[in-house]
Amino acid sequence: MMNQTVVNVKDIHKVFGKRSENQYHALNGVTFDIKAGEFVGIMGPSGAGKTTLLNVISTLDKPTDGTIEIAGTNITSMKQRQLADFRSEQLGFIFQDFNLLENLTIYENIALPLSLQGVPSRKIKPSVVEVAKKLGIETILEKYPVTVSGGQKQRAAAARALVHEPAIILADEPTGALDSKSAKSLMEAMVHLNENHDVSIMMVTHDPLSASYCERILFIHDGALYKEIHRNGSRSEFHHQILDVLADFAE
Amino acid sequence: MLLKLSFSSMRKRFKDYLVLLFGLTISIAIFYMFETLAQNKTFIEANGMISSIVFVFHVGTFILGAITIFYIFYATSFMLTLRQKEMGMYMTLGAKKHKITQLMFFETFFIGLISLLVGLIVGFGLAKGIAELFMWQLDFNGEGFQAFYLSSIITTVIFYVILFLLTSIVNAWKISRKSVLSLLHAEQKQDFVKTKGSKTFFGVLFAIILIGIGYYAMINIAKLMQAGVILAAVTIIIGTYLIFIAFLPYFVKKLKQNRTLNEKGINSFTLGQLRFRMLNLTKVLGTVAMLVALGLGAMTAGISFYHNIEKQASAFHANDVIIHQPSKEDTEALAEMNVTEKNVYHYKIDDQGIYFLKKDLTDNPPLIKYSKETFELPETTRVSQALPKDKYVLGQNDNIASLPEFWTTAISMEINASYQQFGAKDVYVYGSAGYQEIDATEQQVILATVDDFTDYLPQLKTINTNQLKLAETYREETVENIGTKYSNYVAFKAVASGTIFMGFFLGVAFLMMMASVLMFKLLSSAAADTHRYSMLRKIGVRKSLLVKSIYRELFLLFLFPALVGLVHVIVGMQMFSFIIIEPYTKIWIPISIFIIIYGIYYWVTVQMYKRIVLPKEV
Ligand SMILES: Nc1ncnc2c1ncn2[C@@H]1O[C@H](COP(=O)(O)OP(=O)(O)OP(=O)(O)O)[C@@H](O)[C@H]1O
Ligand SMILES: [Mg+2]
Repeated sequence: MMNQTVVNVKDIHKVFGKRSENQYHALNGVTFDIKAGEFVGIMGPSGAGKTTLLNVISTLDKPTDGTIEIAGTNITSMKQRQLADFRSEQLGFIFQDFNLLENLTIYENIALPLSLQGVPSRKIKPSVVEVAKKLGIETILEKYPVTVSGGQKQRAAAARALVHEPAIILADEPTGALDSKSAKSLMEAMVHLNENHDVSIMMVTHDPLSASYCERILFIHDGALYKEIHRNGSRSEFHHQILDVLADFAE
Repeated sequence: MLLKLSFSSMRKRFKDYLVLLFGLTISIAIFYMFETLAQNKTFIEANGMISSIVFVFHVGTFILGAITIFYIFYATSFMLTLRQKEMGMYMTLGAKKHKITQLMFFETFFIGLISLLVGLIVGFGLAKGIAELFMWQLDFNGEGFQAFYLSSIITTVIFYVILFLLTSIVNAWKISRKSVLSLLHAEQKQDFVKTKGSKTFFGVLFAIILIGIGYYAMINIAKLMQAGVILAAVTIIIGTYLIFIAFLPYFVKKLKQNRTLNEKGINSFTLGQLRFRMLNLTKVLGTVAMLVALGLGAMTAGISFYHNIEKQASAFHANDVIIHQPSKEDTEALAEMNVTEKNVYHYKIDDQGIYFLKKDLTDNPPLIKYSKETFELPETTRVSQALPKDKYVLGQNDNIASLPEFWTTAISMEINASYQQFGAKDVYVYGSAGYQEIDATEQQVILATVDDFTDYLPQLKTINTNQLKLAETYREETVENIGTKYSNYVAFKAVASGTIFMGFFLGVAFLMMMASVLMFKLLSSAAADTHRYSMLRKIGVRKSLLVKSIYRELFLLFLFPALVGLVHVIVGMQMFSFIIIEPYTKIWIPISIFIIIYGIYYWVTVQMYKRIVLPKEV
C-alpha cells in the first residue's frame, strides 16, 4: 500500500494560445510521481506554472502533450463527462477561496460530494461527523459559512475534500487568504490527516512556512522541474532549507 | 481616454448589460403599449361599456407608472453595482472624482436612451400584434385603435427621459459620495438573511387567516357589497405578502429538513439556492403574485363577460329563432340549423291589429322565460294557462278580457308581436269562429330552438335581415333592432367586445410587465452565483446536473407567485357570479395565455441565467 503510486505525471507540456498566435509554453516537460500517503508541496516564483500544473492534474485543464495517471487511470484521454465523474470520485479540492457554498450549512457543504455520488442519506451523516472530528470542526456543523472564521472555513473545505475518500487531495494555496494563526491550524489539520489517516496531498503554496509541513517539495521554474527537496530533520530545519532554495530564485 | 476604457469594459460585461437592456426595453415597450390605449380617449369612450372607463385607465397608468419607477430605479442601481468596482479602480489610478461622476451620469443616460429607442420599436410591434390577435379572436373591428400613436410616443419619451435623467443623477451622486475603498470592495459583500422561528409561526398563521377572510369576502360579495371589495383587497394584499415573507421560506426550510430529500444528488444545493433567493425576493414575489392576479383576473373577467353575452341574450327569449312570414331564403336558412323544437302559429294582420288563432297557441303552447322573483335569472317554462274565453286582447280594454300574464309574455316576447316588429297595432287572440270573420290575409310565424345558438350566426343574420325589412314595410322607417334574441346578441356584443378587448390588452400588458420584473430581478443577481457554479463544476458535478438544478430552482421561483395569483383569480371570479351567469366557462383561455407568456419568460430566464453562471468548458 505504502509504495503504490497515486499520481504519475510523464513529460507533460502545456502551451497556451493557438499556433498562429503568440504561444506561451507554461509547462515544458514535467515528470514526477506521488506515492500513496505522501504530502507533496509545489513551489516556485509567480508565473512558473504551478497553477497550470495543478489544473492539468486536477483534470480542469488538458495538457498539450504527455500523460497523467491518477490511481492507475489515464486521465489525458477522457471525455468531459467522464472527467467530471472522475473528479467527483477520485479527487478532493481545496481552493484559495470560494470553497464553500454560502447558502448551505457547513454540514451540507461537507455532505455534498456524498449526495452527488448517490450515497443514501442514512450513511451520509456518520461519514460527515467522522471527517468533521478529524478536522476539529464538529461543533460548527450547523452554522452557515459566513458565521465562521476563515480558518474554520478552510478546514471545512478540507473536510469536504476528504469526505468521499478520494485518491488524492489537491490544494491551490489553501492558506493564501488566511492569517498566520489560521494557516497554522489548517496545516496542522492537514498533517494530521496525512500522518494518521494516510491521505495523499498535493499542495501549491507560496508560503514557506506552510510548505515546511510537507514531506517533499517540488520547485518549478519556467515550466520545468527545478529542484526537489525531502524533509529529513525537524520542521524548522526544513523551513530554512526552503528559504535557501527560494533565495536561489531571487538571484 | 476614460470614455474608451469604459466602453471596452462594457463590452466585456456584455451579458450583464444585455440583461439590463432587456429589462429596460421590456418596461418601455409595455408602458408604450399601455399608453396607446390609455391615451386614445375617443377609442376608449366609443368602446367602453362602463362610463368610468377613462378613470380605470387613469388608475392603470398610475399603477404601471409606479411599478415602472421602482423598476427603473432598481435596474439602474444594478448598473451602478456593475460599474462601481471599475470606477474605483480608475480613481486609484488617478482619475478625478468629477470625471467619474460625469462618466457614470452619461453611461446611465446613454443606456437609457438606447433602451428607449429599442423599447418604442418593440412596443409598437407588441401593440400591433396583440391588438390584431385579439380583434380577430373577438370578431371586433376596433376602429380608431392605432398601434402607432403619436401622443403616446411623446408621453413615453418624456416619462422615460425624465426618469433616466433622475436615475442618472442618482447614480452619479451615489458614486460621488463613496470612498475609493468602498468602491473597490463593493462586490465582496455577501447578502445573507436568517429566518427566526417564532416570527415565522405567527406570520404563517396570520397569512392564512387574512387570506381566508379575503376569500370569504369575495365569495359573499353579494351580501357585503362595497365593504366586501375593500375588505378583500386589504386582507388579500397583506396576506399575499405574508405568504411570501413567512410561509414560503418556512416551507422550503421544512423541505430542506427532510434529510432523504435534501441529501439526494444536487438537491441540497438547489434548495439552498432557492431558500437564499426566496429570502431576497419576498417582496418581488408578493408583488408578482398580486399583479398576476390582477392581470389574469382582468382577462378572465373579460372572457367570461364575452361568453356571458349569449347567456344574457337568452335571458329574455326561450326561442332562438323567430320568423314572421317566412320567405324561401328564411326556410332554407332554418333547414341548415339543427332545430330542437319548432312551432308554427297562424295570424291575420290588418291596419288596426294582429289576430292570433287561439287553437294554434293552445295546441302547441310556446316556451317562455319566466322568473319567480324580480332579481332571479329567468328560467325556461312552457305556457300552460288555459284560455277559456273566445276573445282576448293584449293589454287593457273595456270590452274584451285581458290576456293572462304568461300568454302576454309568449306573444310579446317570443312571437314578437311588438311595436318594434309591426309598429303601433293592437294584438288579439281569437277563437276559431271570431278568427274566420277577420277579413285579412293569413300569415304564419315560426318559433324554433336550436342546439347551439352561436354556431348559426350567419344563418341567423340572414333571417334577421329579412325580419328587419319586414318591420320596415309595417313601420315605414329604417329599423335597426327588432328585439329578437339575435338582435339583442349583436347589440350586447358590440358594446361588450370593446371593453373585453381593453381588458385583454391591459391584462396581457400587466402580465408581461410582471414576468419581466421577476426575470430581471433573478438575472441581475445571477453574476453573484457564478463562483458557486464554477466551484461545483470543479469538484466534479456534471454540467447536465447543474443545468437541471437551474431549471428546477427557477421553475419553483416562477411557480409560487403564479400559483398564488391563480388561486386568487379562481376564488375571485366568485365576485362576478351574481352578474355573470357562469363565471368559469372558458377560463382555460386566459389561463393558457398566461401560461404561455409566463412560460416564455421562464424559458428565456433559464437560458440567460445559464449563459451567465455556467463556466466555459476547456
Ligand atoms: N489561460 C491562459 N492563457 C494564456 N496564458 C496563461 C493562461 N493561464 C496561465 N497562463 C500563463 O502561464 C504561466 C503560468 O501561469 P500559472 O498560473 O501556472 O502560474 P503560477 O505559477 O500559478 O503563478 P502564481 O504563483 O502567480 O499563481 C503564466 O505566465 C501565465 O501568464
Ligand atoms: Mg497560481
